[in-house]
Amino acid sequence: MLILKTLARGGELHGFQIADSIQETSEDVLHVEEGSLYPALQRMLIKGWIIGEWGKTEENRRARYYKLTADGRKQLDSELERYGRVAQAIARIVQPA
Amino acid sequence: MGEIRRRLAYFLRKDRFARDLDDEMRLHVELRARKLSDAGVSDATAAARRQFGNRTVLLESSAELWGWGAWERLVHDFRIALRTLRKTPAFTVVAVLTLALGLGINTAVFSVVNTVMIRRLPYAEPGRLVSVWGEFFRNPPPGFVSPEAKWGGPARTNHSVAEFLDFRRDARGFESLAAFRSASGNLTGIGTPERIQGESITASFLPLLGVLPAQGRNFDTEEDRAGAGPVIILTHGFWQRRLGGDPGVLERSVVLDGKPHRVIGVLPPGFESPGQFEQTQPIEYYLPAAFTAKALADYGSRSIRVIGRLKPGVALAAAQAELDAVSAALDKEHSQHTNFRSVATPLQDDIVRHVGNPLLALLGASGLIVLITCVNVANLLLVRAAARRHETSVRFALGASCLRVVRQFLAESMVVAAAGCAAGIVLGQVLLHLLLAIAPTDLPRLAGLTMDWRVFAVATAVATVTGIAFGVTPAWQASRTRPVESLKTTARNIGSQSQARWRAVLTISEVALAMVLTIGAGLLLKSFVRLMGVDLGFEPERVLALNVNLPAARYGTREKRLRFFEQLAERVQGLPGVQAAAFANSMPLRGGWSTGIRLDISGETSIGTDAQAVSPGYFATMGIPLLEGRLLTAGDRDGQPLVAVVNREFVRRFLPNVDPVGRRLRWDEWVTIVGVVNDIRRSGKEQPVRPGLYVSAAQSTSNPVTLSDFAVRASGDPRRLVSAIQAQVWELDRDQPVTGVKTLAEMVSVSVSQRRFETLLLLVFAAVAVGLAVIGVFGVLSYTVSQRTPEWGIRIALGAAPSSILRLVIRQAGWLVAGGVSLGLCGAFALTRFLESMLFEVHRNDASTYLACVALLALVAIGASLIPARRGSKVDPMVALRYE
Repeated sequence: MLILKTLARGGELHGFQIADSIQETSEDVLHVEEGSLYPALQRMLIKGWIIGEWGKTEENRRARYYKLTADGRKQLDSELERYGRVAQAIARIVQPA
Repeated sequence: MGEIRRRLAYFLRKDRFARDLDDEMRLHVELRARKLSDAGVSDATAAARRQFGNRTVLLESSAELWGWGAWERLVHDFRIALRTLRKTPAFTVVAVLTLALGLGINTAVFSVVNTVMIRRLPYAEPGRLVSVWGEFFRNPPPGFVSPEAKWGGPARTNHSVAEFLDFRRDARGFESLAAFRSASGNLTGIGTPERIQGESITASFLPLLGVLPAQGRNFDTEEDRAGAGPVIILTHGFWQRRLGGDPGVLERSVVLDGKPHRVIGVLPPGFESPGQFEQTQPIEYYLPAAFTAKALADYGSRSIRVIGRLKPGVALAAAQAELDAVSAALDKEHSQHTNFRSVATPLQDDIVRHVGNPLLALLGASGLIVLITCVNVANLLLVRAAARRHETSVRFALGASCLRVVRQFLAESMVVAAAGCAAGIVLGQVLLHLLLAIAPTDLPRLAGLTMDWRVFAVATAVATVTGIAFGVTPAWQASRTRPVESLKTTARNIGSQSQARWRAVLTISEVALAMVLTIGAGLLLKSFVRLMGVDLGFEPERVLALNVNLPAARYGTREKRLRFFEQLAERVQGLPGVQAAAFANSMPLRGGWSTGIRLDISGETSIGTDAQAVSPGYFATMGIPLLEGRLLTAGDRDGQPLVAVVNREFVRRFLPNVDPVGRRLRWDEWVTIVGVVNDIRRSGKEQPVRPGLYVSAAQSTSNPVTLSDFAVRASGDPRRLVSAIQAQVWELDRDQPVTGVKTLAEMVSVSVSQRRFETLLLLVFAAVAVGLAVIGVFGVLSYTVSQRTPEWGIRIALGAAPSSILRLVIRQAGWLVAGGVSLGLCGAFALTRFLESMLFEVHRNDASTYLACVALLALVAIGASLIPARRGSKVDPMVALRYE
């Protein structure tokens, strides 16, 4: 979900940028185990939520840039909604009576 | 959908994928390293790598996400299976061939069962078609012989036209009913004169079956009654073969029995009437029913067969109830109808009623053979698994799961099963051709015998099930290997106790199955031998029989027909090589005529007996000896006192303590009995002897018969006389065809052809089964003997005589065989009930047959064990002890 949201915000990013973005935006609280990013990206590629295109970085290195698709946006919306419901439920339980 | 497309795209670019992903990950690590070193972390590269994780594992798991995971593992298993099977060609070939044998036999037999019994009839909605027969449920009227008598079925009979019309009117559950009757006629004017078969049908017949003429029209309902002009509908085959596919066929006439019939229709190709399934001669034409007014009112003369189509949704039971109601009403009105009822059976069942049981029994037997081959292959696989203990142990030690190992073994057995299936189907085709060559010609629907999708589906299913069945045991055995023990032991260990037990169990079951089949074959063989030993009462050797059907148009009176035949007999008698010639209204094995007569000593009670009108030379030609009195002579003609000759059974039944010569009997006029001849079995070896009487053909005024059969006893080969006899016929009448030329010996052979076929097949099955079982026993014993070689070496070194080892091995074989035989006997007691309908004068638990089969199988099996036993006893102790 976080990956999807990052891409939703960021446009086109390659793997390292996604990991970095999550780390920065979450103010270093969430460290994505960097390697596990890639299987996750593959899963999303299979499901068609993102597409990857080869391009060049600023240093002219070959990198793959990922972008959100319409399906991905729908998936993101539904996941955000689910997360929101879960967060509310937890908040209700945890709230001081 | 898009997902599947993407996954397929991955397939095509698998290597590039791995490299690309590797590049990506490397870039990521480098960038992270740079960032870390910017932030002042020492040894940034190592830190970056640690933070990233294990690249290889990540690559693999990514690839697995894309790949088809389980499928790839399966393919991998199969590839390994193929490789290991290739490495042991001996085992593979033997296993595949064994399977192919079992599956081939099964496929061939199932093809026959499929074509004859399972395939739907080639009519529209065949599930709603029924056949309506009549049955006498108390005493059949005197002289009644059921057309079903040949098969030993219930006393079924045809219907009368009047009954048929009543059904049509009153039985509402039927959408339509139709009647038909077989017919034959002399075809002249097209090529050589020939007698061809046809059917006379009502107008409803073709529409009921869902067929209409491809050219022209069907019969009208007016043509159901006599009086319309003579018309005919031809089959496609007739039109093509005899008229050359003439496009102007609807303008032509066909001359049958001297009368021209206008062709009004031609049927589409591939149509067969239900009556065709019981005849070997093709039906080539159809005539309208043309019922005379007399027939329409007559309830007594039963000459037509009835078929019907049920209304949709109407159950058979409901329709039967309506038929019963009509029968009950008729019972009250007409005396000829009492104790008669009509029975409706589904047409599909009806057509195969004679051969259903034997075919299913054969299918069961072939199933047993498949079981035996399974057991054989399972044994082979067990031995093989035992030999691969080391490999399996290493696998377990390296961390393979139980499931993985089992899957591998199952993959191997499935490959063997698949190869066996393919080979089996090919073998099945070959066997099918052989089967067709020896099958009795009156097996219905056999003409369309092919392997259709059902056969392949069944073959594949059987192969799959057998593959799993014989693969599961070795696989399960292998999965229970204890790596520690197996890796420690040497080749001396022949495998665990349970493996040996399994092998013994499998071998015993093989022998048991072979025992069951052998007993079945033995019973059938005994039946057949008994059957062939039955004395027919006449001598069929060197007798030629043929049909000369004189058309009514030219031979309208009895006298004309009689004169023709008498002249023919005289001429033929004069031919060289002819010992005797005779004519009659019908020959033995070709049906006959039954009637009711009254004896002078029995008052007015009607007695049923067979009757025949014969020429004086008949008894000499047939070889029927005279027992008392005299035979018929040329002097017994019109104007002379009416005489008859009776057979011994007649005397035994009706004139037991009386001298038959001189007694009188009558139909309409009194006839004197002048002689007694030997009994003959008119309808074949299996039919009981019936009382019969013979009247002179020249004298049968009271029951005029149609003379049509001619027989000649030759001094040499009767077939050599055929053209000479034909020439004589043509000298008397140029347009007269001679048909149905057969030697009586051939007809006798044909009458037992079905039994012969069944017996032969079951004998072959039993031989195959015994062969396989013997191979199984032999294989198991060879293996055990070779594995125990060091033990023999020690025994011999310690002073045992070689004969004691021989006895040891034979005793082991003996236990296996004894177990198998006893199990087989129990099986036989239970299963022979399915053979009962196929046996002739042999009880299904006939002791002598059982004993003989047990002895045979035991001898053969123990004989097979002699070879490995001798090998074991000849072991050189020095060699054996060094053999590790």
